[in-house]
Amino acid sequence: MQTGQLDPAPRVLVWLYITLVLVFLYVPMIPPIIFSFAPGEVAEGRATLRWYAEMWNSPELNAAIGTTFELGIVVAIITPVLALLAAMAIRELKIPRLMLMLMLLPLFIPGVSMGLATALFFRLLGLPSSLFTMAIVQILWALPFATLVVLTAMSTFDPVYLEAAYVSGANRFRSFLDVELPLIRSGVSGAATFSLILSFNETIRTSLVQGPENTVQTYIWSTYKQIGLSPTLYALMSLLILLSMVLVVVYLLAGVRRGQSANALAAESPPQRRPLAISPPDSPIPTEKV
Amino acid sequence: MRIRSPVRLTLLAVPIAFMTVFLLAPLGLTIVVSFWQRVGLSVRPAFTLVSYLDFFEGVRLTVLERSLLISLEATLISLLLAYPIAYVLAYKARPNATRAVLLLLTVPFLINYIIRTFAWTYLLGRAGPINSLLLGLGIVSTPVDWLLFSDFAVFVGLISSYMPFMVFPLWMSLSGIDRRLTEASWMLGAPPLRTFLRITLPLSLPGVFAAVIFGFVGCFGESAVPVILGGVGYQLMGNTITSTLDVLNYPLAAAMSSVVVITMLILLGCWYAAFDMSTFLGKILHWRV
Repeated sequence: MQTGQLDPAPRVLVWLYITLVLVFLYVPMIPPIIFSFAPGEVAEGRATLRWYAEMWNSPELNAAIGTTFELGIVVAIITPVLALLAAMAIRELKIPRLMLMLMLLPLFIPGVSMGLATALFFRLLGLPSSLFTMAIVQILWALPFATLVVLTAMSTFDPVYLEAAYVSGANRFRSFLDVELPLIRSGVSGAATFSLILSFNETIRTSLVQGPENTVQTYIWSTYKQIGLSPTLYALMSLLILLSMVLVVVYLLAGVRRGQSANALAAESPPQRRPLAISPPDSPIPTEKV
Repeated sequence: MRIRSPVRLTLLAVPIAFMTVFLLAPLGLTIVVSFWQRVGLSVRPAFTLVSYLDFFEGVRLTVLERSLLISLEATLISLLLAYPIAYVLAYKARPNATRAVLLLLTVPFLINYIIRTFAWTYLLGRAGPINSLLLGLGIVSTPVDWLLFSDFAVFVGLISSYMPFMVFPLWMSLSGIDRRLTEASWMLGAPPLRTFLRITLPLSLPGVFAAVIFGFVGCFGESAVPVILGGVGYQLMGNTITSTLDVLNYPLAAAMSSVVVITMLILLGCWYAAFDMSTFLGKILHWRV
């Protein structure tokens, strides 16, 4: 990437501006953490960890934490698989724009509309609200992001490796399994981490299709609407912020390991794309791009 | 093209089927249900415009107008905030700095925006740090009231929820522009501003529109921010839909949601028709075997 020349003074101003915007975005993460240590009575006047201890006494909240993790695991397993298939479909079907648009659609639908639509749909099908309906909605929400992550990883994969596999006699399935998948594995695991983070942080869509089970997020939201905020809720929020940050670090570390894929978006010149000259052994006729 | 096996085609069709069944069908159903009749606490298939009349004739029309206005303004402010960042990241920053800033913008987007919105009630409150600072500096003599439970607070909430992600489409389209075009413009003697207005800005429009659609539709249907930051009785489309759901008036909720969804589909359709996405997403879509 060619770096444009900026004089020192404008450069300072530009980065000051970016820093200010980042401060504006990050400052709201601080108060919940401060309030989670707030003493119960003003007179106590000391920071306390008791809210972190107290939140485990609520059976309702314990159940919500269980549900959150169950959902997160389901979403983190199914979404990357769907994203991988979607990315391959975008690459291979003749309608890449339409496919991509379809996969990105949930990004553009407000949470209420998506929650309401799926809630009506499940109700008409006679499906009771359950972990299943919550998982579907969260997968829908995570899928566009997961697809983008997988597509990014795929774009760094040089198809010449597939040709090599075909020459060596591997059929398409084996060459995918042994050659392509290992090379884009970090993209798939990145998509899984992303999906997990999004699942942990989803409220509105989930709350519209939830049954009796709460997730931590819907628990916070419904408690806020019924009785307002409390130090216990702040403690929960702090843990969620911390957990999300840890997952972001995990995602990054996975990216550092692969190195090349992490640089995909900033890469100067992506590998040149051309139609494959060599076809897999299972193709009945030699292939040429039409 | 290659001949594909049926198994492979079936696998590739799975995500399409998933989206069709669990997203497109439910969205279509929303529109269908909006014409249904409400009978007591239940609904009956019918074709009636009662819900739409209810929506467009009642006080909810002002909710629609205010939602449109607030979403437009919030989107415009977000765009003005996000575009310079995307521009700097695309042209003036080193790749490492670009990656770092993009990551720093991703993290707040990932952390639940409702949690972040709660924090603004403290930050903007009468006893919050902003008022303390203003009082301490002697700029005001009594705490400023309009910071919280106001249009201003809702703007802050909407912008901090939707702006971070708007940088991405902007950055993608800006960094996808062929540098030779701007270089040609310079060599032909155009000053930087003219080059920006005639070359860079028009070529970044696909990203601008993607960002605007994302921000606008998001704000338009936003249901938590107005509840938390708008104060009692502050209504935008999103929380009016949820409060209609609370009284189990499904056809009316569906009608209002349909207005949001159809707005989104029209905007998205225009975008799809007007721009070639392959330049916009060129960076991640260039592999077409």
